[in-house]
Amino acid sequence: MNCNEAAPLLPTYGDGELDPMQSAEVEKHLLTCAECAARRDEQVALSARIKRDVPYFAAPPSLRSRIDAVLAGTRGTLRSRPVWDRWRWLGAGALAGSMATVLAWLMGSAVLEWRDGTDLAAEAVADHVRATLSNHLTDVATSDRHTVKPWLSARLDYSPPVQDLSGEGFALTGARVDYLEKRAVATLVYRYREHVVDVFVRPAAEGTARSRSPVSTVRGFNVVRASGAGMDWLAVSDTSADALTAFVARLARGDAAP
Amino acid sequence: MEVRLPDGDARSRCAELVLPHLNSAYNLARWLSRNDADAEDIVQDALERALKYASGLQGTNAKAWFLTIVRHTCYDWIGRNRPAELVPGDGTDAIEAAADPRPTPEETVIADADAQALLRAIAALPVGFREVLLLREQEDMSYRDIARVIDIPIGTVMSRLARARGLLRRSPLLHSVLPQSMRTVGK
Repeated sequence: MNCNEAAPLLPTYGDGELDPMQSAEVEKHLLTCAECAARRDEQVALSARIKRDVPYFAAPPSLRSRIDAVLAGTRGTLRSRPVWDRWRWLGAGALAGSMATVLAWLMGSAVLEWRDGTDLAAEAVADHVRATLSNHLTDVATSDRHTVKPWLSARLDYSPPVQDLSGEGFALTGARVDYLEKRAVATLVYRYREHVVDVFVRPAAEGTARSRSPVSTVRGFNVVRASGAGMDWLAVSDTSADALTAFVARLARGDAAP
Repeated sequence: MEVRLPDGDARSRCAELVLPHLNSAYNLARWLSRNDADAEDIVQDALERALKYASGLQGTNAKAWFLTIVRHTCYDWIGRNRPAELVPGDGTDAIEAAADPRPTPEETVIADADAQALLRAIAALPVGFREVLLLREQEDMSYRDIARVIDIPIGTVMSRLARARGLLRRSPLLHSVLPQSMRTVGK
């Protein structure tokens, strides 16, 4: 690949949207071409500046209370409607078709609920693998927990506790926002020796004490769960389950310096 | 398979899927309207629309779906309040507008002069370029999702992104932003 071929692909490469084959070719070219490498650096610098300096406007509390009012209104009107009214749509369509739809929906939601109960670990591992493969481990890369915490609270509707446990071998390297069970969650990224450790943190689910074992293995990755400090913690790594369990317990205890 | 849910279930499921993206919605509305109070009105309006059309959410990508509605609501609002902004332009004017010395509301929260220059240059981008740039850089959305939100082909996402970045690079205000070595390349 020469400059004429590589240059138009650079923005797409920088955005991580090239297919792996083209990506590898661009990378090869970048190793040998200072000019294209400088263009790539320029885009990276611009992206980093935008991420760092351009304010991200999180929804203010006043908006959240307005939204709550809208939703409360929704539920209120629902409750006041008679039961038969909610099912009147059944009469509107062909009955057989409706029955088939309802059956499909019931089966679909049963399957979804079952998957919901068993796939959390798999989903977390998938997030971990995706981040590792795409080399996009962190959205905010810093070992300073006083930077990580506000960055996360600006993007989520909660503020997870953030600790740097370098003293115990787990060095905080940054954070990103992932999705677990369709919700945005904080992912704290640590390094432990040569291993990357992702810790997913979300507010503790109310009244859903899960009976499953706190330690499981998915595709060779250890997944450890814990609850504490008002949060549910879920760590994924290829390091040993023992080290991971001790680490997560330490995080969930939340007794480090404030 | 399209599964039609009873109305109430569709609405509460919709709210559940959409609410995690409230910050993204507000940020987009805030950047397009450039005003706190208007952004709140827009997001509330968008949420009400979303609940009304809840059955249109197939659960594939709630964020892109919701932001599509937020963006439509923004454009309706801009059309009513500042129709001049919707006149298509190539953004050349924006570079000159960026030299306007009056601080914009965004800038008052930023002390750093370089950061202010960047903000001013982005705020001055034509709205069509600004939205693509921010969805990409702040929301980390894929080209495909951005194309969906704005309802344009992926090729157009790429060209608008290139144009927006080009305008920022060429903005005289930003000459202090990027190191000298980076600016001389690629002219």
